[in-house]
Amino acid sequence: MMGNKIIEMRGIVKSYYLGTPNELEILHGIDLDVYEGEFLSIVGASGSGKSTLMNILGALDRPTKGHYYLDHLPMENVKDDGLSQIRNKKIGFVFQTFNLIPRSTALKNVALPMLYGGVSRSERSRRATELLQLVEMGGRSHHRPNELSGGQKQRVAIARAMANDPAIILADEPTGALDTHTGRLVMDIFHRLHQEQGKTIILITHNSELAEETQRTIRLRDGSIVENRKNGHYQLEGCYESV
Amino acid sequence: MNLFENIRLALEGLRANKMRALLTMLGIIIGIASVMAISTLGSAMTGSVTKTMDKIGGKNIMVSLSPKNYDTQSTLQEDDLITQEELNDFRSTYTDQIKAISFSTGMGSGQLNSGFIHKDVSITGASPDYGLVNNINLVQGRFINERDIDGTRNVIIIDTTLRNSLVGVDGDVIGKEIQVDTKSTNETYTVIGVYEKLVIDNPLFYMGDDTRIECFIPITTAKSLNPDTANQNGYENFTIMATSNTDSAAFALTTKDYFIKGLGPLSDYTIQAESLEAIASEATGMLSTLSLGISVIAGISLLVGGIGVMNIMLVSVTERTKEIGIRKALGARNSAIRSQFIIEAMIICLIGGMIGVGLGSALGIMGSTLMKFPTNPPFLPMIIALCFSMAIGVFFGFYPANKAAKLDPIDALRYE
Repeated sequence: MMGNKIIEMRGIVKSYYLGTPNELEILHGIDLDVYEGEFLSIVGASGSGKSTLMNILGALDRPTKGHYYLDHLPMENVKDDGLSQIRNKKIGFVFQTFNLIPRSTALKNVALPMLYGGVSRSERSRRATELLQLVEMGGRSHHRPNELSGGQKQRVAIARAMANDPAIILADEPTGALDTHTGRLVMDIFHRLHQEQGKTIILITHNSELAEETQRTIRLRDGSIVENRKNGHYQLEGCYESV
Repeated sequence: MNLFENIRLALEGLRANKMRALLTMLGIIIGIASVMAISTLGSAMTGSVTKTMDKIGGKNIMVSLSPKNYDTQSTLQEDDLITQEELNDFRSTYTDQIKAISFSTGMGSGQLNSGFIHKDVSITGASPDYGLVNNINLVQGRFINERDIDGTRNVIIIDTTLRNSLVGVDGDVIGKEIQVDTKSTNETYTVIGVYEKLVIDNPLFYMGDDTRIECFIPITTAKSLNPDTANQNGYENFTIMATSNTDSAAFALTTKDYFIKGLGPLSDYTIQAESLEAIASEATGMLSTLSLGISVIAGISLLVGGIGVMNIMLVSVTERTKEIGIRKALGARNSAIRSQFIIEAMIICLIGGMIGVGLGSALGIMGSTLMKFPTNPPFLPMIIALCFSMAIGVFFGFYPANKAAKLDPIDALRYE
């Protein structure tokens, strides 16, 4: 057993339409541990509960039952404003459709989480510039999203996810809207962030090839974890407990 | 997330939709402009009434004996008249409130003859304080004094137009003797002073061009020339000029109570005391009520404008659902989203309000200048209008902003 447990989930259940005849349980008691510095992938077909799990991991949603500790912080009983703060400080989202604010420049998009985090204007601008350089978008900082290609947008989005130096980066099909080549470039950035910055990254995908690149893959089926596998070429030990 | 950042965000949002923002503002602009124009015009009018009243003698109280009942034959008895003793007592009782008391009696019109010049004039017998009380502006010579009164002298004050026709603008008319014929008299007077006629250039007070030439002679002289009043000992009417810090409307009542006691219970007459200030404040009160009423009607357009703002804000929230989702995912609190939209609505209204205030006061000033009530930009109403337009922004922005703040981040992110 080594490393700092950055995510600990115990018996996470998520149900919809609670108390009605069509009550629907999407997640059936998920147990999941993620360690600091890990590059993890969650795979599963659509309808397997991937998105629901991601929403709970990303503090966008609350589980119906179970315990979730993010960076040792119990997530039960956290109020809406508290969840906002956790999303702001602890989590960096990367979405399939980029989700940049269309009328703001790349720089302002990257600075946005810092704005909500109360970082001063000059510091926001300094750090956003730095982050854009990190994803090799330094020359495009004053372009708006509609002036950028898909791959460029996703790089800006990754820079934005890094803005408040979060505990985990949560990437939901980050290459889903990109062609293979640009998808490759984006994946390379994740690898770089993982290796050079030691970021904890959770990649949600249905692409098994991309999942193979990560250290460990969790497979979801019908709301349960059916596989928890260390990927061959990574030789890190003790990063996970066997299923 | 401070106010400044919110303002910047809101401005960014507005800049993205300039035309729409402008059209939304239009309702506020029209509403604020019309209210401002009317209140500017209204305050210009009331201001002009007060100014004119001051010119005429705003602190004056006109006291007179008048019949209790106009239908029956009332005769004024000798002992109904207000005696000099009563007046002296009154004056010493209220020394702090009384600045001057003046008496006058009209002698009617007559004809002035001097050489080949014949002019129609009206003659008024006046006491020494008449000049002060009625704001008579002497340009040459002096007004009637106590010695003229005591000596029942045949002296006269004429106005500048008469002076000009007698001796020309630069001529010296003082000491010149002129003859005035009235219905029953034919007297020669020595000119002792020239006054300039008060010009009232307020259209609200316009009563036709007054071409009458009024001349003043000592009241004692006037009384002695009239067989009805030659032996009269006392006054039928007089004018009190109250001191500047006296509430003349209240003092009019005091005066009335004071002199009514002097009348016998069987007298057909009563005392009337009217203060010009009270009449003026009645007039200005009516004017301000009127302009307030019209402003309220104009204010309805503000309400419509506010609803327009709310409508556009609701559209904007729906349009930007995804953006709201993104902001929430990145850590924006509900309060940050709410204030972003409220401030956006406030800024629409504030900019609209500023344009409206500018437009409205320009219109109001133009209108009042055209109608000859010169006025200054009304600063207090301007500030009130701006605050009010911001309040409209908050009021009509709150519902859409709250709707935005309450959006579920997952639903909002999924919104296409």
